[in-house]
Amino acid sequence: MAIPVIMPKVDMVMETGTLVEWLKKEGEYVKKGEPLFIIMTDKANMEIQAPASGILTGIRAKPNQVVPVTEVIAYLVEPGETLPSPLEEGVSAIQAEATSIPTERSDTAGGEKVRATPAARRLAAELGIDLHLVQGTGPDGRIQKEDVLTYQERQQAVQEERVTGVTLQERPKPRIVFPTARRKGVVPLTGPRKIIAERMSYSAFTAPHIVLTLSVNMRESARLYERLSEPIRLRTGLRLSYTAIFARAVAAVLPHHPLLNASLTNDEIILWEDVDLGIATAVEDYLVVPVIRQAQNKNLEQIVIELNDLVERARGKRLTPSEMSGSTFTISNLGMFGIEEFQAIINPPETAILAVGKITEAPVGIEGRIELCPMIRLTLSADHRVVDGVAAGRFLTELKEVLETPYLLI
Amino acid sequence: MNGGVNREITYLEAIREALTQEMRRDPNVFLIGEDIGVYGGAFGVTWGMLEEFGPERIRETPISEAAIAGAATGAALMGMRPIMEIMFMDFVTIAMNQLVNQAAKIRFMFGGKASIPLVCRTPAGSGTGAAAQHSQCLEQWFVHVPGIKVVAPSTPADAKGLLVASIRDNNPVMFVEHKLLYRTKGPVPEELYTIPLGTADVKREGKHLTIVAYSVMVPRALEAAQQLASEGIEAEVVDPRTLKPLDKQTIIRSVCKTGRVLIVHEAPVTGGFGGELAAVIAESEAFDYLEAPIRRVCGRDVPIPYNRTLERAAVPQVEDIVVAARRLVREGK
Repeated sequence: MAIPVIMPKVDMVMETGTLVEWLKKEGEYVKKGEPLFIIMTDKANMEIQAPASGILTGIRAKPNQVVPVTEVIAYLVEPGETLPSPLEEGVSAIQAEATSIPTERSDTAGGEKVRATPAARRLAAELGIDLHLVQGTGPDGRIQKEDVLTYQERQQAVQEERVTGVTLQERPKPRIVFPTARRKGVVPLTGPRKIIAERMSYSAFTAPHIVLTLSVNMRESARLYERLSEPIRLRTGLRLSYTAIFARAVAAVLPHHPLLNASLTNDEIILWEDVDLGIATAVEDYLVVPVIRQAQNKNLEQIVIELNDLVERARGKRLTPSEMSGSTFTISNLGMFGIEEFQAIINPPETAILAVGKITEAPVGIEGRIELCPMIRLTLSADHRVVDGVAAGRFLTELKEVLETPYLLI
Repeated sequence: MNGGVNREITYLEAIREALTQEMRRDPNVFLIGEDIGVYGGAFGVTWGMLEEFGPERIRETPISEAAIAGAATGAALMGMRPIMEIMFMDFVTIAMNQLVNQAAKIRFMFGGKASIPLVCRTPAGSGTGAAAQHSQCLEQWFVHVPGIKVVAPSTPADAKGLLVASIRDNNPVMFVEHKLLYRTKGPVPEELYTIPLGTADVKREGKHLTIVAYSVMVPRALEAAQQLASEGIEAEVVDPRTLKPLDKQTIIRSVCKTGRVLIVHEAPVTGGFGGELAAVIAESEAFDYLEAPIRRVCGRDVPIPYNRTLERAAVPQVEDIVVAARRLVREGK
């Protein structure tokens, strides 16, 4: 009797799994418990063992294919045994419906016939259950009515747990005792303040932040700043700022690190081709983030012009909403306020934000000597759902390299 | 229907009582057959009736089933209500032409202007060591003939009520008795009553499987159900009582409830009434409630042997029903 090999559900909220690779070949004999294939879940890659001994046959999930949990991806058969009915090659239903709820499929969608009693079929049809997902306990694995009911109960239990998970997040706020101090006044939570409050708490409580900091020796960048300030002023009539240099550096480096220029949706990560660079800008008592579009294609002079214009108009509150939204990465510079280093909260739906501190003369060990160098602390906050520490670190390292050797920007 | 009835009589006595009471009520009713008078019938059903009704109404015939059936059909056609007796159901083969080609057809061929209110009483079945020519169950042959009704009672009370209803029916009715049931006892109301043809009876309620059985297989199914109950299997026993017209709804309802069905009859399995029952169930809404294949426990496809051990092995016994029911419920096959 053919034993189905399924995409396992290795944690409660897992809906699909990605097949990484088969560790056995079609037609190869596998012993029960031997590693059979590797899957990638939300958390990690996992080795899955053979559920039974037999010959691996009817493989229907290819590497990198996203498969709904409990979907049959192959069979283990006894020597000389053939599958009850021919299986379609690389069933398209799996790929097409990878993100849909598996129970919506009819009981023939999988291509193979299900052994079930008429009563089980009627009940499954009434409950909208795909019989492929039900484990049969009757003779030769036939699905009985009882099996459908058991499956239904388990599904309900899973659903309830999900619901419970939601209610946990939405549970009432704890009772917080307010100070009895005298009040100076009340600021209504409206407009930009309200939006900032909503967006920042959303980001802080949904995106698990990882925060990485490194020091950059700004000696060469400072030299660049000094050498270019005058020509740029002459050509554009505008003042070169360190923010513009950081913007140019980030725009140059970011395309090499696509996961940091990305947005997470419910079930996918969108990688952005353009670096639409947000520059956090303080306006009176709140914050706006004007956007330099396609910054990766702009040189320093263009960035200076555009940045100046945006900041000018931001302070005059003359920016349109579209100029202040839809960035793919944000730079926040508090160096001008003397802040040496800080951690920023990611500006959703971005994946990362760079917090820039103040340039400080600091002693640095160089070839056995101590030198005073203009040092700066760069802190990257990144969404750990999308990117891991190593990838975020690589970005920061390359940014450091470019800032310490700014000639690379040419 | 017999709740509160204390008097117990045999199946045989119940049939005699039905005949007697109906003959007292309706002067058109008369009996015709071999050895039914002085001898009282081969099994004693009509014993003593000659004394009460006389030779005009208890008519003895030569040994010719064709003559009995022909005379009965003619009398029925002329407005009488004949009850013919075929001593062993096996001999009905000789009466087939009269019954199948005449009695069954006349009402239809005359556009309803004539009718044949005749009852053919006959004992069927094995178990008496009477061998292959005196042990057959040929009810399915008549089920297959439009125009004939077929009744096969399993209890004394059913036998009485169904026989009275058969006598009063304006169509030819094959009233199939069972030799082994003649001596079985049960509560039977003294007064005249009828049980409408085409009504099944749930002889025992249960939830795990339905056993459809008729005639002598009903008491065997009930005994099997009792054994099954001791191991936790609750069998529902449905007795159709009338094979034609068949009370399909009662059977279907029961199968919908239990999801499993075992069909039991004594006649050989191949071409037997069980096949018809299985088809009725499979074609009905009960299909969607089936949790296991429809199964039959029936007679083997052999002439009934004279050897008592082989005779017993040729037809379903209580233990056969228990084994099949257990397998159906426990193993789903």
